[in-house]
Amino acid sequence: MAYEVTLPRLGWDMEEGSLAVWIKKDGEFVKSGELLFTVEGDKAVQEIEALDTGYLRILPDGPQPGVKVPVGTLLGFLVPENERDSFVFPGGVSASTSMATADRVTNPVVDLRAAITSEGEGVLPVAEDAKPRRVYISPYAKRLAQGLGVDWQSLKGSGRAGRIMAADVEKAATAPLVAPKLAGIASSLTTSIPPQAIPESVTRQPMSQTRKKIAEHMATSAHTVAPVTLTAEIDATELVGLRKQLKADAALGGLPLPSYNDMLAKIVAQALLEHPHMNAQIVGDEILYSNTAHIAVAVDTERGLLVPVLRDVQAKSLRQVAREAAALIEKTRQGTIAYADLQGATFTITNLGMFEIEAFTPIINLPQCAILGVGQIIAKQVVTDAELEMVEIRQRMVLSLTFDHRLVDGAQAARFLQRIKRLAERPYVWLVGS
Amino acid sequence: MPEMTFTDAARAGLAEEMARDPLIFVVGEGIGPRGGNFNTTVGLHELYGDMRLRDTPISERGFTGLCTGAAVLGARPVVDFMFLDFELDALGEIINQTSRLRWMSNGQVNVPIVIRGGVGVASTGPHHSANLFSVFMHIPGLYVVTPVFPADAKGLLKTAIRSNDPVIFLEHKKLLKLKGPVPDGEYLVPFGKAAVVRSGTDVTVVAISFPVIEALSAARMLEADGISAEIIDPRTLVPLDIDTILESIAKTHRLLIVDEDYGPCGAAAEIAAQVMERAFYELDAPVRRLNGAFIPAPYSPPLEAAVVPNAARIAQAVRSLIQE
Repeated sequence: MAYEVTLPRLGWDMEEGSLAVWIKKDGEFVKSGELLFTVEGDKAVQEIEALDTGYLRILPDGPQPGVKVPVGTLLGFLVPENERDSFVFPGGVSASTSMATADRVTNPVVDLRAAITSEGEGVLPVAEDAKPRRVYISPYAKRLAQGLGVDWQSLKGSGRAGRIMAADVEKAATAPLVAPKLAGIASSLTTSIPPQAIPESVTRQPMSQTRKKIAEHMATSAHTVAPVTLTAEIDATELVGLRKQLKADAALGGLPLPSYNDMLAKIVAQALLEHPHMNAQIVGDEILYSNTAHIAVAVDTERGLLVPVLRDVQAKSLRQVAREAAALIEKTRQGTIAYADLQGATFTITNLGMFEIEAFTPIINLPQCAILGVGQIIAKQVVTDAELEMVEIRQRMVLSLTFDHRLVDGAQAARFLQRIKRLAERPYVWLVGS
Repeated sequence: MPEMTFTDAARAGLAEEMARDPLIFVVGEGIGPRGGNFNTTVGLHELYGDMRLRDTPISERGFTGLCTGAAVLGARPVVDFMFLDFELDALGEIINQTSRLRWMSNGQVNVPIVIRGGVGVASTGPHHSANLFSVFMHIPGLYVVTPVFPADAKGLLKTAIRSNDPVIFLEHKKLLKLKGPVPDGEYLVPFGKAAVVRSGTDVTVVAISFPVIEALSAARMLEADGISAEIIDPRTLVPLDIDTILESIAKTHRLLIVDEDYGPCGAAAEIAAQVMERAFYELDAPVRRLNGAFIPAPYSPPLEAAVVPNAARIAQAVRSLIQE
């Protein structure tokens, strides 16, 4: 029996992805555990191992690299030695003709079904949610909907098995307008802007997978949360001093030097545990409080913004955090980061200091409650004692905390930012640990 | 307007044409002094004698070939097959010669011949119940005519006799005694013009041959449920008046086709295909067919009742289509 090779799910919310590249060639012998192909998920490219042993037969009319298909889509087969000569692709495409049709692109969903029906038993069932549910509508009703400007995709049909009929469309067309739900806004965002004439002096480029995901994610966030940004200028002199000492420490030799982000991750982790309402998310009608701090660090890459996650930061030493962060960031920049490493953060830190940005208003990375924007560290003249009329040159840094007012109120968030400020100004307090 | 039966109306049309044109003659088994098994020629032998009402032996292919030759030479034969099933024995002649001579002669000869016979399941058993609509529809060069009402029997038969190309004239045996008003004298019904025999707004029912009558009963049953069915009788399957059907669908957006003949590759399938090609975006439900069972017609009356579309089954199909 030939083993199916399908597009895997790389994370709980991944619905579709694209085959990036076949690492093995059609016809090549592959052992279980060897790398078979790479997949471009929503944000990450991941190498996929073969789960079985056999000769790789790439589905001739299967998905082409770069084309987005649903999770579970059939990509090819691993054919055991004893079936190598007799192997025929489901649907009757014989092995010999497969090469001739290799450049044909067809609907992968159809291929998937053909494979299921013709292979019969022994075929792994495809997850039900891998197939997008089709909305059935009669041809007449569809035309009617277009004429009346009714969005039939969202209608509930009264016909057999929920099929939309002309009567349903007419009803919808005459129904009073209801306020569209928040969730719908994000997806319709681009269409609600009236089309404008595109000047000839533009360069067209299809949106990359990563860009699309970022756009979707940011738009959803912008239209879902109630963001408020608090800014506080803090004294980073001690942090700068700490980093200098660490740099000078001979024992560090070869180990990665903790960055300000790493230090802030530790500080934020401590503050989050003390202010659990900031370490929370909304799920349905409930608020879930996380009792660990998984902190995402925004990384600028050629593919776009990615946010690898440092896990259980509160339980790790600064050095450990620095080491892990360095490895994650390297993988992120290389594009080899695993999908799982981009998932599950409870808070995000984003730093634009290296671009000489002093303060900004970041967008919350849903479903998290808040995000901390870190500005440039600048040496400033500061009044340190008004009575004595003392002025000093101190290292100053602006922190911008954007929080979701649905989850927490201004005072709570302010206390949280204040706590971060205190911890950053007195590093020895958090270095001791909790 | 006098009331008469389908048979009497058709015979009146034939008699008028025979009186008008001496080149018209009838050939068949028992159509002479006996007046035809289905009374198609009663009284005509007395008027025109053996020369124009010629009884034949049981040799369908022979007399069909002879009549095709006579038609080529300018006569206008009416070949009366009694039961259409017997036409199968002459099919080689009809398809290979009768239907093709005009093309093969580059239009130098015409074959003005009418081939008529009783069709349909009517307690007549496997050998005498054929409809064969699609067999003739499938052959280029043949008109296929399916009158339902007495007036159409007369008007369409007169048009058939005047046609310069071969006409297959199919008379459902359950219609022969159907009474209806028939215009006196010169009355011609053109080919390719369907009749909307009942107006409605919710569903279009195209019924072929006798099922038109059943569809009308079904429409009365459906009216009680508040469903308004429009019934169309195509009258001729070739040429098919698809425009009238499409017009009706543009109003009702639903189509049921009722045909006692077999479903596969049948007349209903052809109509469904044309509708799909030309009116897909008018359809609010899939096109439905209601056909006779895909089996040789049984002789037993209870079995027969079970295999042909009747009013109750048509009404049921319409209700299901409305809920689709």
